[in-house]
Parts: sequence; C-alpha cells; structure tokens
Amino acid sequence: MQMVKNILLIIATLWFAILLFMPKVDLYYSLENKLVKKGIVINEKSIDESVFSLSLKESDIYAEGINLVKLNKINIFTLLFYSSINVNGINIDESLKSFIPVTVEKLIASHSILSPRKVFITIVGNFGVADGIVDLKKKIIRLDFSDTNELNNLKKQLKKDKKGWYYEKSF
Amino acid sequence: MKNPFKLKIFKNVIVILVIFVLIKLLWVVADTLWLSSYGVEHKKEVGGKGLYYRVKLSTNKAPPPPKVEPKKIIKIAGNIKEIKLKAIYSSDESTVVTIVYKQKTKILGLGDTINGFTLNGGGSNYAIFVKNSKNYRVELEESKKSKNIYNSIKFSKDTTKKIENKSTPSLPDGEIIDAGDHKIIDKSLIEYYTKDIDSIYKNIGIKDLKKDNIVNGFMITFVRRGTPFAKLGLKRGDILKAINGRQLNSYKAAFDAYKNALNMSNVTLVIERKKEEMELEYEVN
Repeated sequence: MQMVKNILLIIATLWFAILLFMPKVDLYYSLENKLVKKGIVINEKSIDESVFSLSLKESDIYAEGINLVKLNKINIFTLLFYSSINVNGINIDESLKSFIPVTVEKLIASHSILSPRKVFITIVGNFGVADGIVDLKKKIIRLDFSDTNELNNLKKQLKKDKKGWYYEKSF
Repeated sequence: MKNPFKLKIFKNVIVILVIFVLIKLLWVVADTLWLSSYGVEHKKEVGGKGLYYRVKLSTNKAPPPPKVEPKKIIKIAGNIKEIKLKAIYSSDESTVVTIVYKQKTKILGLGDTINGFTLNGGGSNYAIFVKNSKNYRVELEESKKSKNIYNSIKFSKDTTKKIENKSTPSLPDGEIIDAGDHKIIDKSLIEYYTKDIDSIYKNIGIKDLKKDNIVNGFMITFVRRGTPFAKLGLKRGDILKAINGRQLNSYKAAFDAYKNALNMSNVTLVIERKKEEMELEYEVN
C-alpha cells in the first residue's frame, strides 16, 4: 500500500512539475515560428501565462500577409490528459462574407486522452451552434449545423443529410 | 523520547524537490535546444501608393478660361417606352449608352439611330433621343434592379436552388464599353463582384506565379466567354503584373487591389502577354 502511495505521489509530482515549469510562452512562440513557414503569422497584443493556461489578447491572424481574422481572446488550457482552446470574438474579414460568417462569438476545441484521435469542436455564431469532430486518424473535419438560425450564404459550403446541414473536409 | 523530526516526511519532500529540479532542468534543456524565445511580428508591406487616378499631362500654357454658354432648354416631347436605358457614359465630348430594344442589347454613340430615334445627348442618369425634331428622354433603369437580383441570388431559398441547378450562372446587368484608348466599366459590375468573390472564380481563373518562392504576378488560366472579364480584354495566359502602379508581387497586393476596387475611379493594369508588357486602361463610371 505504501508503495502504491509513493508511486502516486511521484506521478502527481511529475504531472504538476511538468505543468508548472512548462515554458508555455516559448512553446507558443515555437508554434508561431512553425506557422510562419506556412504563410501564417499571429500577432497578439499581450500574452498571460498561468500554471495551467496561456491567454492571448487581441490577436490578428495574417495569411500570406493578409489580415484575415481578428480574435478578441484566446485561452489555451491544459491538464495534459485534457486540453482545450477557447476563442472568443472571432471577426473574419468582410471580403470573405460570401463564404463564411464574418462574426463568430465563440469557438471551443477540446482534446481528451480518452479519445486521443479526436478533437471536439463547438462553434457559436449568428448562424446558431455547430458541433463537430476533427478525426486525426481519418484526417476529416465534420461540423454539424443542427441548432441553427439562418445559414444564408454559408449553405454554399455545406452538404445535407438526415441530421441536417453539415460541413465536411479532409486535410 | 519521541523524535520530532519525521524522517519519512523529509524523504518525501526531498523526492518532490528532486523531481521539481529534474523537470525544470529538462524544460530548460528543451527550451534551449528546440524552442524559440521570440515570436514573429507581421511586417507591414511598404509599397508604392496606388495611383487611383489618371494624370493628364499638358503644356505649361495656362488653361483658357471656361466658356460660359447659356444652357439650352430642351423641350421634352415624351418618353420612349420600347427603349430601356441600361447604362450611360456622358461627357462634354461624347455620350455612349447601352440600351435594350426588343429584348436585344445595343450600344449607341452620339448620332446613332434606333427605330428612327437618334441619340442626341444625355446626363448622368438619362439619355436624350431626337425624332422628327422632337426630344425624347429615357431614364436610366435604376441600379436597384441589379441589387434585387443579387439579393435574390443570395437569400431567396427557391431562387438559390434554381440558380444552383443552372450550369451557367446569371451575369450582372452592368456593361463594359469600349471607348477606344480605354474601356469604361459600369460601377455596378464592381459592386457585384466585390460582394461575391465566388462569382469571380466562376468566370475567371487566376493562378499565382512564383519565382524562388516569391510571387511574381498572377496568371490568367481561363476567361469565360461573354462575361465582363472577357470584355475587359483579358486573355488566357496573360500575367497580371501591376495595378495602378502597385506591383502584384504578393497575395496582399492582390487582395488590397480587390478590397479597394470600389474606390477606384480609374484602373491601369500592367499585363505581360506573349513576353511583352502592355497597359490596359479602364475608367469606372
């Protein structure tokens, strides 16, 4: 019993130490540097670090030098076995309004060790709510627009099945 | 005597501290070897300011004082119902109109006659025709019509389905008029295409040209016949090099041109056709 307790204590200490000393800002900067090679630049006004999370405020996302998206707040949270990204206030450039909704209130992406090959997504916008999955094994994104108001021009990008309108793309 | 110092707790604290130090060391090593300590700042492109106007060069002579001519009062005998005015370009020197007569679109210049009516002049939103020494005024069909068409494409469920089923997408109403050295583009066309980027790609194919991974212009891969893009004089294989003095050497330059299209009153497009550079001039009216 004592042995089990000791092992649990070591695992808990390891887990906490990894999170506590994780250079979250530098990890984020490394991600920024990798994205640059794909033509994507993220500029943020401020970065706040805490034990379990990293918050970015007023971020601008540039694709090939074009400022396409403005994000009010991004919160990256991790417990290692469960991670999530919360994005609030997504404003997409007006020129893309014929493709996608230009204002999205919230985007939540979460990943759990219980389903390691899936990322669950929820998007809340003026179109309603869309729930979906990114299947990392099959390399497919699927978003179901089940609880929706007006899809308008978004329908051009969607398909329809028994459940309703959905978006699907492989990557 | 009881020992107040618990060896077991001390051992645990030492183990925890050792783990903390080890993990910290590992992160420091990983940070030094693989991670970046600096983010990436977006560099604002410094390019020449776009020339969104045409400059007419003249001699140093002072311009003559403008002649003040008494305004002619034109007596209007009535309207012509069978002629519908779709677009008009009117200046002191010339008037060009696009009309629909018996469901056929025709372009008339000053002095041209249709069904006995001769084009005699016009204003910003009307044209004057003469027949038997009598003047007839034809009002420009309001641009509301084209807006309604656009709205019905976007929002009406039934119409959307019908349009999706059609193999050829409906075209906007505006015209492109050839005025010799330059072409005159109806502004409603630019409004239509800036609102719906999707409709551009159905009518014209544009592909980036890269040299050493740097954009070196945009090549036209196809131009749909009969569309406003074909009337612009663009051909398959043309390479778009610059617009209004700004080199198209990045996606941003192209995107900026697209975004500013509505504010342009004159457009000068530098293209490369069969290894020769040439300029295409447009006026937005």
